[in-house]
Amino acid sequence: MTLGLREILNKHNSLISGTAACPGCPENMAMRMLGMGLGKDTVVVVVAGCSSIIQGNAPYNSYNLPVVNIAFAAGPAAASGLARAYKQKGKDVNVVVWAGDGGTADIGFASLSGAAERNEDIIYVCVDNEAYMNSGGQRSGSTPLGAITSTTPEGKKENKKNLPFLMVSHNVPYVATASVGYPHDYIQKLKRAKEIDGFRYIHVLTPDPYGWLFDPSRTAEIAKLAVQTCYWPLFEYYNGKITVSQECLHCLDKRTRRPIKDFLSVQGRFKRVKEDDIAKLEKYIDDMWEKIKELM
Amino acid sequence: MIRKIISGNEAVATAVKLARVGLTGIYPITPQTSIIEKLAEMKAQGEIQTEIVRVESEHSAMAATYGAALAGIRAFTATASQGLLYMHEMVWWVAGSRVPVVMVVGTRAVGAPWNIWNEHTDFTSERDSGWIMAFASNPQEALDLTIQAFRISEDERVFLPVMVGMDGFILSHTKTNVLIPDQEQIDDYLPPRRQPYVIDPEDPVEIGNMFPPEGYMKLRESIHLALKNSEDIIRQHGREYNKKVSPMIDYSTLNSSYRLEDADYAVVLMGAWAGDAMEAIDVLREKGIKIGMLRVRYLRPWSEKEIRENLEGKKGVLVLDRSTSFGRGGPLYIEVKSTIRDTEVKDIVTGLGGVTVGKSDMIYLFSKFVEGIKEDVTWYYPKEVGKLDVRTPRDIE
Ligand code: SF4
Repeated sequence: MTLGLREILNKHNSLISGTAACPGCPENMAMRMLGMGLGKDTVVVVVAGCSSIIQGNAPYNSYNLPVVNIAFAAGPAAASGLARAYKQKGKDVNVVVWAGDGGTADIGFASLSGAAERNEDIIYVCVDNEAYMNSGGQRSGSTPLGAITSTTPEGKKENKKNLPFLMVSHNVPYVATASVGYPHDYIQKLKRAKEIDGFRYIHVLTPDPYGWLFDPSRTAEIAKLAVQTCYWPLFEYYNGKITVSQECLHCLDKRTRRPIKDFLSVQGRFKRVKEDDIAKLEKYIDDMWEKIKELM
Repeated sequence: MIRKIISGNEAVATAVKLARVGLTGIYPITPQTSIIEKLAEMKAQGEIQTEIVRVESEHSAMAATYGAALAGIRAFTATASQGLLYMHEMVWWVAGSRVPVVMVVGTRAVGAPWNIWNEHTDFTSERDSGWIMAFASNPQEALDLTIQAFRISEDERVFLPVMVGMDGFILSHTKTNVLIPDQEQIDDYLPPRRQPYVIDPEDPVEIGNMFPPEGYMKLRESIHLALKNSEDIIRQHGREYNKKVSPMIDYSTLNSSYRLEDADYAVVLMGAWAGDAMEAIDVLREKGIKIGMLRVRYLRPWSEKEIRENLEGKKGVLVLDRSTSFGRGGPLYIEVKSTIRDTEVKDIVTGLGGVTVGKSDMIYLFSKFVEGIKEDVTWYYPKEVGKLDVRTPRDIE
């Protein structure tokens, strides 16, 4: 299934003008695409983070969908309650949890894992900007090794927690990764998720100009670079198998991968990265692709 | 109506069934666990329709309950002690959203150190969260108050969550005779759910987003006013319960009294130990001491009117607190003292962590009080407990 641009633009507009996002905000982009993928029978549970602010101050509201804003660790549980209530009322609603990497990898992980284990009929979207951007850019469990954040001024010492794999280990019906640099791919995945019952997890890389330190005009380009350098894979996991998107087929063979330096050098947050850190990052990428190949 | 010998926890599960609850978020914690076990059992046997979400924590139990309530169905959960503290964040979130939800708390001590026995500190520490807070004194009341809680919570003049406290083990696990209303009676008493807003794609609204300071403060005031105004509404629904369901316990007031009218001295307390206090009062009355009791049934709203009417003009008021606000005194004491004037108020903090305070202790305490105790706040240990050698950091120093 490949969508043309016109088809995408005709879909439900989940974002109306005047959001409170920073210029070049990747979460804004991801939210717009959510409506394009799922249409308007959607309820979004927004977990504390940039997306709680982007919608604007009450009584104004720039998300053109019903929204339940909620505290950090409560998203998947609240969505479970909503989804079951709609089922009881005989309503067909896509219940979406919309959370950042902090809410997903760290403080909210128990409730995410619980909802996945119960196979709740919800779609969980993690918008991953790789740090706690809403509180000023502190490290999260999803921050990559070597990245400077306000709580790791010397560069993070540990690798990124690999959430998509963790969700694959939960044996849920559907897990996918996406990047705001590839809207077609992301929207197709949303559409596929919509057709599946049970717990669905979509992890979207959302490069943040203010935490990653690049010019806001380059968000989409950096989001693409992450995929081209194989730092961020694009895949779908369902029926017990991983399918890799065509945008990163070249990553399956180490020899055809674009060097990771191309991705690191365009961002200020990696300016202190040392050669041995780059080697560690390369190893992280190699290991990740080996695992992906095992599951293909 | 039938009579059955059941525990407090089973009485609550029965109330949930009779209220036709749509979803229950469950997570086990002592001493509340058998409520949710009973519900799960009833569900497995097809006796109830309620959806049961077996979540991974109390925080999620309250969140799942909240989600279901927002989508427009009647929702319930139960907890205790550490569990209530763990869901504290969501307890506030629900009240702040002005969404009807009902919860039962099987009250229990809070660690550290570990202690599973009864006291009221978990319950009283939620008194600023914006919930209506009732407290039962026997399993019958636990059932009645839980049903009334749905009615009150879903009243359009209230739209606030309601929690019902019940002494852990003392009520939760003790079996007594309980009058169980018929389904038709409850259907007549409890109309279909109403709520201020429903989250639904057909009519998109947004809840809980960023609020500017003035708006936020206005919402806070609206909770305050709704809570204050709920006083009359609680009485109204109480009278209706007496009329439509059962006249056995008088629910036309927020507090219940015993031999108080002609009393010189009054005792104020909350919960199951009211039974011992009543017996102690009978003994003292025989000795010619005119003493009576006021049992607080609603900690929130706090009926200043009722408290004043009942206590002002007495020679002295003694409050028995099963919880404490460290460095100050018991929460009930603080409330009573700030409500009545020109009357001496003393406080006994006791019964914490399951310490048994019975009829003889109460006879002793009440007579001491009538004789005139000096301390405003006294920590009382029954004899056996007083002997226990416990070392605190100060002793170790
Ligand atoms: S900090 Fe980043 S994610 Fe947050 S609003 Fe700004 S651009 Fe968007």
